[in-house]
Amino acid sequence: MDFNFIPLAFGEAISPTTAAYALATIGLVVHFGFTGLVNFGQAGFMAIGGYAFVVTSLQFNWPLPFAILATIVCSVIFAFLLGLPTLRLRADYLSIVTIAAAEIVRLSVKTPELTGLTGGATGLNGGAESFQDLNPIPNGQYLGPLHMSAADLWSAIVGWSLVLLACLLVWALMRSPWGRIVKGIREDEDAVRALGKNVFSYKMQALVLGGVLGGLAGALFILPRSLQPDNYGTQLTFFLYTIMLLGGATTIFGPLLGAAIFWVVLSLSDGLLSVAVTNNILPISSTQQGPIRFIIVGVALMLLVIFRPQGILGKKAEVFFRA
Amino acid sequence: MGILPVDPRRQRAVGIGLIGMAFAALVAVLPIAAPLAAAADPIDPSTADESISIWLRERDSKAPVPNVTVEVKGKSFDETFTTDPDGRVLVGLPSGGDYTVTVDTSTAPAEIGTLPAAQNPRKLTVQNTNKNVPVNFLFTTDAGAGGGASTTPSDGASPSPDSSAGSSSGSGDSSGSPAITGGLVASKIVTGIIYGLLLALASIGVSLIYGTTGLNNFAHGELVTFGALMGYLFSSILGLPGFVGIIAAVLLGGLYGFVQDTVLWRPLRKRGVGLVPLMIVSIGLALATRYLYSFFFGADRLTLPNDPSPFLRIGSVSLRFTDVMGAVVALVVLLAVAWVMLRTRLGKAARAVSDNRSLAAASGIDVDGVIRWIWIGGGALAGLSGVLIAYYQSLRWDTGSQILLLIFAAVTLGGLGSAFGALVGSMVISVFMNLSTLFIPDNLKYVAALAVMIVILLVRPQGILGRRERIG
Repeated sequence: MDFNFIPLAFGEAISPTTAAYALATIGLVVHFGFTGLVNFGQAGFMAIGGYAFVVTSLQFNWPLPFAILATIVCSVIFAFLLGLPTLRLRADYLSIVTIAAAEIVRLSVKTPELTGLTGGATGLNGGAESFQDLNPIPNGQYLGPLHMSAADLWSAIVGWSLVLLACLLVWALMRSPWGRIVKGIREDEDAVRALGKNVFSYKMQALVLGGVLGGLAGALFILPRSLQPDNYGTQLTFFLYTIMLLGGATTIFGPLLGAAIFWVVLSLSDGLLSVAVTNNILPISSTQQGPIRFIIVGVALMLLVIFRPQGILGKKAEVFFRA
Repeated sequence: MGILPVDPRRQRAVGIGLIGMAFAALVAVLPIAAPLAAAADPIDPSTADESISIWLRERDSKAPVPNVTVEVKGKSFDETFTTDPDGRVLVGLPSGGDYTVTVDTSTAPAEIGTLPAAQNPRKLTVQNTNKNVPVNFLFTTDAGAGGGASTTPSDGASPSPDSSAGSSSGSGDSSGSPAITGGLVASKIVTGIIYGLLLALASIGVSLIYGTTGLNNFAHGELVTFGALMGYLFSSILGLPGFVGIIAAVLLGGLYGFVQDTVLWRPLRKRGVGLVPLMIVSIGLALATRYLYSFFFGADRLTLPNDPSPFLRIGSVSLRFTDVMGAVVALVVLLAVAWVMLRTRLGKAARAVSDNRSLAAASGIDVDGVIRWIWIGGGALAGLSGVLIAYYQSLRWDTGSQILLLIFAAVTLGGLGSAFGALVGSMVISVFMNLSTLFIPDNLKYVAALAVMIVILLVRPQGILGRRERIG
């Protein structure tokens, strides 16, 4: 039996993909954990960010700083488009509109009529070139048994730096007056309104902030892979929710811990299943192995909400939804 | 409204009556699902366990292409066929496996163009017991493009929106308004109405569950898929007649709804779990069950035994037997639901709980009992919707989750919490979605439906039949 997958699975904890999930989840924490906005469309923000980054740098040949700027601007615009009609409505309407908007983005970029711009259903390759051109790390394999390539190591370093910066930003914001108002909106919108605060405006600011983090995470997400529309389906959002609830929805470092645990557990279970299947320990075929990780995530999501809604790091008293 | 001292026994009887009525309608209508005999093929496709349904059409006008030679080749199988006046040919196969379908384009009239090279010949794998595996060919005069996936973006050149538009407007004369004929509009409306009826069956459950418990059930799509899979299990795998599969889908769907409420939702309600976490629980449930289906039934598209020959023609619209019967069954069941909602104690109690739960409880209504029946009824209706959609199109492990957002759009449009709103919303969304394909690419019709939902929330957030107080 080949147990090579074990160190690799633990290596997932620091991979660039995990960093992207952590960053997107920090955005979600700003929305859901701190402001109480039920955003089921974080995958849409990631898609907007990813497409803005790749299309501008690959199709328009924009230099890296402008591509990043485009990523941020597009995320802000998307947040406004989403927020204007829905932030005055109740939470469940927001959830339906955001999930629908994310699907609208995915289906629109996928349409064959836009193939020249977005690559249609096949997506686009090589969007990370301008980023990897800046890579100062010489070619080779790094981090011992992980065999990380120089490109992955560079993406991971930049990605995790971005995640830490985002943590710092959100931490500073949440202990500022702005953060107290936003948390007040989460607890009792009407009370905050009675204090003369413009609730709508604060909600919009939170939506934009979390959305920009989601958009940047989308750009980070495509660094180690090609841009494909179906990566941004609704299940991506639900993975982010699982990560958030795992780490703690109202904590700064919860998303980091949650993303690391999430991917290590999934990779370990994938590896164990592969070993079990190839050695005929389990009576299932290798195609039946694929769905199992999603079943694990779904069950984990249910159990977390029911039995530990505050997650690993959270405090019971600060659970936005009391169980 | 009078006070409703609901007798539980009476309530149960009514519920059983509702389901019984639905069955009676089904049994009365469906036992003649036997396919019509086909031509003298080497293997009679109506009795073969595996078959391929080939359909040749023109891409832009969707007109059928008759009298074209098609060759189907597989291991120990090599036959040629000619398409019928509908451009179709149904090929019975000796067994599952890999097949190659080649269209002899020289036998097609030159003016309709040709097939993109990437599409012809077409290789496909037929699973055992898979009937009517669809193989569609679209002729186009648009020589270069048309394959969609085969077109590659040019690297260096700066692709602007107009360069991408070029590929679709190569046949520009037909993509605009001139191609919209009365017949085309009629066919879109007819398919929209049929699909809307099927959608309504699923939407009513979502709307009533929302109305009575406040839960936005993201796992309702999986109830729909469950019905479709039960139909497949009984009709395709076990080989039982079609109506048995449909009845099984309804019965087991209702049972599934009951079990779900008893095991999961009622305990959570008792614990006082908030609505947002309930919503997330339903997402987890949806994710887990959806992939459980994929685990057991595989990731491939499955088809139910169906007879593709036209049964009814309305103008230029040609409908299969199952299309017509699906619509009739859906209509009968929807009328039955309307009768239950308006005329029975259970229906009145359900509407009372939906309007104001505490007041309903205070006036002696067994709220938990009503909710249980809503779950059973919602599950049964979703199961019926699933199996009928499987007949109408085809099914897959994610059939239900793909229409979940359409259901939400329909329910939001009609007004959350209202059964009649769900019906109206489904019809409007479905007809609108089908008509929208006259103006926008086919694959964007979902986008159109979802966009309508967002616009409705902007101008009239309570929906068509909803009440103002329902929004926050």
